[in-house]
Amino acid sequence: MRLRVLGLLVGLLGLVSALSAQGNKLLVVLEEEADKSRYSQFWSSLSDRGFQLTYRSPKDTGLSLFQHGVPAYSHLLLLPTKAKGLGPALTPNLIVDFVNAGSNVLLTLSSEVGIPSAISSLLLELDITLPADRNSLVVDHFNYDTKTAAEDHDILLLPSPKQANNAIKDYFSVDSLVAFPHAVGQVLGNASPLLSSILKAPSTAYTYNPKDDSGDSLEDVFASGNQITLVSAFQARNSARFTVVGSAEALEDKWFDAAVQVPGAGKKSEKTGNKAFAEKVSAWTFKEAGVLKVESVSHYLNEGPQSTLTNSSSALGQANVDLNPTIYRIKNSVHYAIALSEWSGTHWTPFTPAAADSVQLEFSMLSPFHRLNLIPSSQTPTATIFTSTFTLPDQHGIFNFFVEYRRPFLTNVEEKRTVTVRHFAHDEWPRSFVISGAWPWIGGIWVTVAGWVAFVVVWLYSKPAQPKGDLKAQGFRR
Amino acid sequence: MAVTATNSDSPTSIFFKGETGRNTRGLLRLIILCTIAAAAVASRLFSVIRFESIIHEFDPWFNFRATKYLIQHGFYNFWDWFDDRTWHPLGRVTGGTLYPGLMVTSGAIYHFLRFLTLPVDIRNICVLLAPAFSGLTAFATYLLTSEMSDSPSAGLLAACFMGITPGYISRSVAGSYDNEAIAIFLLVFTFYLWIKAVKVGSVMWGGLTALFYGYMVSAWGGYVFITNLIPLHAFVLICMGRFSPRLYVSYTTWYALGTLASMQIPFVGFLPIRSSDHMSALGIFGLIQLVGFTEYIRAQLPSKQFQTLLRAMVLIVFGVAFGGLVLLTVSGTIAPWSGRFYSLWDTGYAKIHIPIIASVSEHQPTAWPAFFFDLNMLIWLFPAGVYMCFRNLRDEQVFVVIYAVLSSYFAGVMVRLMLTLTPIVCVAAAMALSQILDTFLVAEAPAEPSGDATKANGSASSNGSANIKDKLNSAIPESLRSTKAPLVGIYSYLSKSLTAGAVTAYLLLFVLHCTWVTSNAYSSPSVVLASRLPDGSQHIIDDYREAYYWLRQNTKQDAKVMSWWDYGYQIGGMADRPTLVDNNTWNNTHIATVGKAMSSREEVSYPIMRQHEVDYVLVVFGGLLGYSGDDINKFLWMVRIAEGIWPDEVKERDFFTARGEYRVDDEATPTMKNSLMYKMSYYNYNSLFPAGQAQDRVRGSKLPATGPELSTLEEAFTSENWIIRIYKVKDLDNLGRTHQEAGAFGKGNKRKKGGKRRGARVLRVD
Repeated sequence: MRLRVLGLLVGLLGLVSALSAQGNKLLVVLEEEADKSRYSQFWSSLSDRGFQLTYRSPKDTGLSLFQHGVPAYSHLLLLPTKAKGLGPALTPNLIVDFVNAGSNVLLTLSSEVGIPSAISSLLLELDITLPADRNSLVVDHFNYDTKTAAEDHDILLLPSPKQANNAIKDYFSVDSLVAFPHAVGQVLGNASPLLSSILKAPSTAYTYNPKDDSGDSLEDVFASGNQITLVSAFQARNSARFTVVGSAEALEDKWFDAAVQVPGAGKKSEKTGNKAFAEKVSAWTFKEAGVLKVESVSHYLNEGPQSTLTNSSSALGQANVDLNPTIYRIKNSVHYAIALSEWSGTHWTPFTPAAADSVQLEFSMLSPFHRLNLIPSSQTPTATIFTSTFTLPDQHGIFNFFVEYRRPFLTNVEEKRTVTVRHFAHDEWPRSFVISGAWPWIGGIWVTVAGWVAFVVVWLYSKPAQPKGDLKAQGFRR
Repeated sequence: MAVTATNSDSPTSIFFKGETGRNTRGLLRLIILCTIAAAAVASRLFSVIRFESIIHEFDPWFNFRATKYLIQHGFYNFWDWFDDRTWHPLGRVTGGTLYPGLMVTSGAIYHFLRFLTLPVDIRNICVLLAPAFSGLTAFATYLLTSEMSDSPSAGLLAACFMGITPGYISRSVAGSYDNEAIAIFLLVFTFYLWIKAVKVGSVMWGGLTALFYGYMVSAWGGYVFITNLIPLHAFVLICMGRFSPRLYVSYTTWYALGTLASMQIPFVGFLPIRSSDHMSALGIFGLIQLVGFTEYIRAQLPSKQFQTLLRAMVLIVFGVAFGGLVLLTVSGTIAPWSGRFYSLWDTGYAKIHIPIIASVSEHQPTAWPAFFFDLNMLIWLFPAGVYMCFRNLRDEQVFVVIYAVLSSYFAGVMVRLMLTLTPIVCVAAAMALSQILDTFLVAEAPAEPSGDATKANGSASSNGSANIKDKLNSAIPESLRSTKAPLVGIYSYLSKSLTAGAVTAYLLLFVLHCTWVTSNAYSSPSVVLASRLPDGSQHIIDDYREAYYWLRQNTKQDAKVMSWWDYGYQIGGMADRPTLVDNNTWNNTHIATVGKAMSSREEVSYPIMRQHEVDYVLVVFGGLLGYSGDDINKFLWMVRIAEGIWPDEVKERDFFTARGEYRVDDEATPTMKNSLMYKMSYYNYNSLFPAGQAQDRVRGSKLPATGPELSTLEEAFTSENWIIRIYKVKDLDNLGRTHQEAGAFGKGNKRKKGGKRRGARVLRVD
C-alpha cells in the first residue's frame, strides 16, 4: 500500500505538466493512420496539456486496455470506425470493466461512417439510446451553416452550452457558436441520475435518415428538439467519466478554424468556438475539471471546554481536543467540518459550490434525523471548510455523519463517518433535588422518616396507662 | 443413599447415641452433603471432558461476552453499557436491558480469585459457574426440605435428587453459562428463607428473604415466579384462617425490602408497581394490612358490631381496589399483562399473536415423555410427596402444595419451566421416599401396640395421648381408619428387605438414568456437533466455529452480518462482528425486517440490506449433512414474523403448494424459489452432485435440475459440511444498472434496443 502511494507520488512529480487529476496516459483508437492528421490541432491541444497519446488501430492485435489486471491507460478516446465492432480488445464488456476500474472514456460518433452495433449496445448499458438507423443524423432548418450546408441543413450551429439552472456549475461555455456537422443524436434515459447532457440540440432540430427516401421516418421521428442530446456525459458511481460526442467531425481541424454563418438577415459570418469547446469537453472527460477531493473530515463534541474552539484548523491541532470520537451521547452539541478542494488543472483550490447549491450533511440512522446545509466558514489555500454545529437527536443508535455530494459534472463525494450515540449514563441525569417537581416527593420521604422517628420516640417513652389493654396490643405486635 | 437414613441399632452404637451421636450425625451429614455437591459438579463435566472448556449454545455466548466487557471496563461502564455491535443500527442499551446478576457474580469470583493471586481465565470461571452453583443448589434444597419434613433423611435425599436430576442438569452443565445457572440456586434458597421467615416470624429472616429475592431479580426474569408464589402462599394462609403476626411480619418485611431491592435493577425499574404481573404482591401487601387492622379491631370491638363493620369494610375495600386497578390499567398507568404471561394460560395465544415467542423451541408446550425423561422416578413419587403434605398441613406444607400445583401447570405449558418444577419435585419426592425409608429401613421391630387387639393400627407414638386417640378413632368412620394414626412400623423382615431392596434398585436405576440422560442429551455444546463414524470413533463437526472464525479473520472489524436471530449471540461472541438481530428479541420489527429480507425476492431484499448496511449474510444449511436445525426448517417462522408486520407483502400461504405442502423440490412455489433464503441455501448446491441428482437430506427431496441464481449477493464462504454459508452483499452497480441487468450484460446477453418503445414517449426533463 505504502509502496503504491509512493509510486503514485513519484509518478505525479514526474509529470508536473499533466493537467489531469488522474493520470496522463491516453489511448486514442482510430482506424486508419490517415485519419490522424485530420485532428492534428486536437492532438496538439491534448499533448500540450500533458497527455501521453498512444495511437492504436482497433485491429491491432497488441491492443489491450488492461495490463496485469489493471487499466493500462487512464483515458480512452474512441474515434469512429467503419467496422461493425471494435474488435476483441474493445468489446463492450471490456470497456465497461475499464470504466469500472476508474478510467475515463471519450467516445465520438459520426453519422458518416455509421455506428457499430457494439457501440450501440454499450451505450444502452449507460441508458443512452442511439437511433436505430446507422446513418441517422440531426438536421435543423433554422440553425444550420449557410456556407457549407445550405441544402442539407445537417451542419448545426449551436450557441454556447449553458446549464439549465444555477445550481449546476458551468464547465463548458464558450464565446462563440459551435459547429456540429453530421451529428448523431442521443436520447438519454429518464431513470439514470448518472447521465447529464452537455450540449443539446435546439428545439427545432430532429433526427433524419438521409438514406430513407420514403419519408416514413419523418412520420415517427426518433427524437426531436431538446430531447436530442449531442454531447452527453455519464459519470459512473466511481466517478469514472464517459462522454459521448455526437459528431467526431466537430473535433477536426477543419471546423476549428472555420467561419460559419447562421441563416437569417443581418447575421454575420463568425469564427467557430469548436476548439475551445473540444478542449473543455476533453478536459472535463479526462478529469482536468470538476474534480473534487475531500481534504479532511472532522467532528468533535461542542460542549464543555471544547465549545470555545474556533473552526480554524490550527485550533483543532491542539492536543487537548478529542477529535473524531467514536461515541457521543444523545442531545450532545456536535461540530462537524469537511474540507473540500477542487482541481484547477494545476493545483487544488478551495471548492465553491454553484450559487444555488450547497453541500449538505445528513446525520442518519436508517433515515436522516438531520439534513443540514453546511456553511463555508473558512478557507485554507487548498480547501474550503464547510461546517455545521448541531444538537444530536434524542435517539440512541449507530449513526452516520454522511456527506453525499453528487452533482452533475462534479466527481462524487461520499463521506460516511460512523459514530455511536449512546443513552444517558446513570450519573448524567439531573439530581432529584434539582428538579422542582420532585420536591413534594422528597418532602414526603423526609416527613415519613421524621414521623416514624417521632412515633418510635413516643412509643418508647409513653408509659402504658392500663397494663391489661397494653398486653393485648403487644400480643398482636409480637 | 439409602444408607443415609440413620439407624440407631448399629454395633458402634456409642457414636449414634446422645451428644456424641448428634455430633457424629452432624459430621456425617456434612460429609454427605459435600459428596452430593461433588457428585453434582462431577456429573456436569461430561461436555468439558468430551469436547473442551467451551461456552455452549446461544444465550451463554452473550452472557460470556457481557462478562468479558464487565471485567475489561469495570462495573459502572458495564452498568451504562451501550452496545453498538448488536441490533445494528439501533444498538442496544445493554446495561439497562439485562439481568446483571450472573455477570456480576462471575466478575466477583474473578476478582476474588485474582485477589488470592489465582489468575484464572474468565472463560473457565464462566464455564464452571453453573456446576459450582448446582452444588449450592443441592445444599439449598437440603435446607428447604429439612424445614418441610421432620425426617432426618428427607433433606439429604432431596439434595441428592436435586444434584443429579436431568431436569436441572439440562440448564446447568459446564459451559451452559446462562441466567438459570445461578437463578435456580437463588430460587430455592429464597424459598427456604421465606419458609424460615414464616416459621419464625422474624424481621431478620424476612430481610434475608428480601435480600436473596433482590439477588434473584438481578439474575433471572423468572423472579416473577417468586413474586407471585409468595403472595399466593400468604393469601392462601389468610383464606385458611391462618393469619398470624408471624406471617404479617415476614410478608411485609419481604415485600417492602424486596420491592425496593428489585427496583434497583435498571431492567426492572418501576415494573414492580406498574405491571400487572407484580400486582398480586402489591394487592396482598394491602390485604395483609387490612387483615392485620381487622384483627386489631376485632380485639377491640364486640363481635356483633364487628360483623357489620367487617362486611361493610370488605365490600368497600374490594370495590375501591378493583375499581382502582381497572381504572389504572385502562388509563395505562399499570401495564396490561404481557404477552408472555397470556401465553402461559393459552398455549395457542403466542402462535397467533406473538410468533416470535412461539418460535422459540423452549417456549413450546412440554411433551409428556419429557417429564419422565427429565425427572424419571421422581415424577411418580412427586404426587405422593404432595399427599404427605396434606397429612401434616402446617404453613410450610401449604407452600409445597401451592408450589407443586402451580409449577406443574406451568411446566406443562412451557418446556423451559420444567426448571422451576424440578426443585419442588425433588423436595416432594424426597419427603415421600424418606417416609418409606424411615418406615422400612428400621431394623428393629416396632413396639407392640399399646391398645387392644381390635385397634390393629393403634398408636405407637410416645406422647401418651392414647385416650384422645381412642376417642378420635371412634368418631372417625371405618373407611378413614388409616388417617387416624399413620405411623406404626413393620414387623416382618421380609417385607422390610423387599421394600428396601426395591427402593434401592429404583434409586440405582435413577442414578443410571440421570447419568445416561446427562451424558447423551444435555452435554452437547450445540456449537460443536458430534457424530460417529462407521468404525465407532467420534467425528466432530465443527462448521459453526470454522465459519465464525472465517468471519473474524477475513472481514472488516465492523462488517455487519445479517442472519436469523438465533445466531446473533454466537456471531457477536465468536466472530466479534456486529449483527442485525440477536437472541435478545427486544425489537420485533427489526426481526421482522430481517425475516422480510430473507423471505422476499432479491429485488425487495437488496434495498433492505443496503439500508441496514449489511455486508454479509449468513445462513445455516443442513441439506448436505442432514442437520435438521437449519434455516429452511426455521424459515416459516421468519415468514410468519414478517407477515405480522407486513401482511400485504409477505404471505405464509404463498410458501405452501396448492395442496398445502411445504416443499423445496421442483414443486416448490415460485415465492419459495425466489426467496432469498431458498436461493442462499441451495445456491451452487447442484454442483456437488451429478446433473439432476441433487438431494436435500433433511427434507428428503430431490432438488430442481437447475439451481437458483443470485445477482445481488456473491458467495463468500461455505463451511466444510455446508452447514454455514456466508454471502457478501454486492455494492451498487457502478453504471447505475440493476444487478440483474448487469449480470445479464456480463454474460453477453444484449439488451433490447430501446428504440421500440410502447405507449407514449416519456420525455427527459433536466
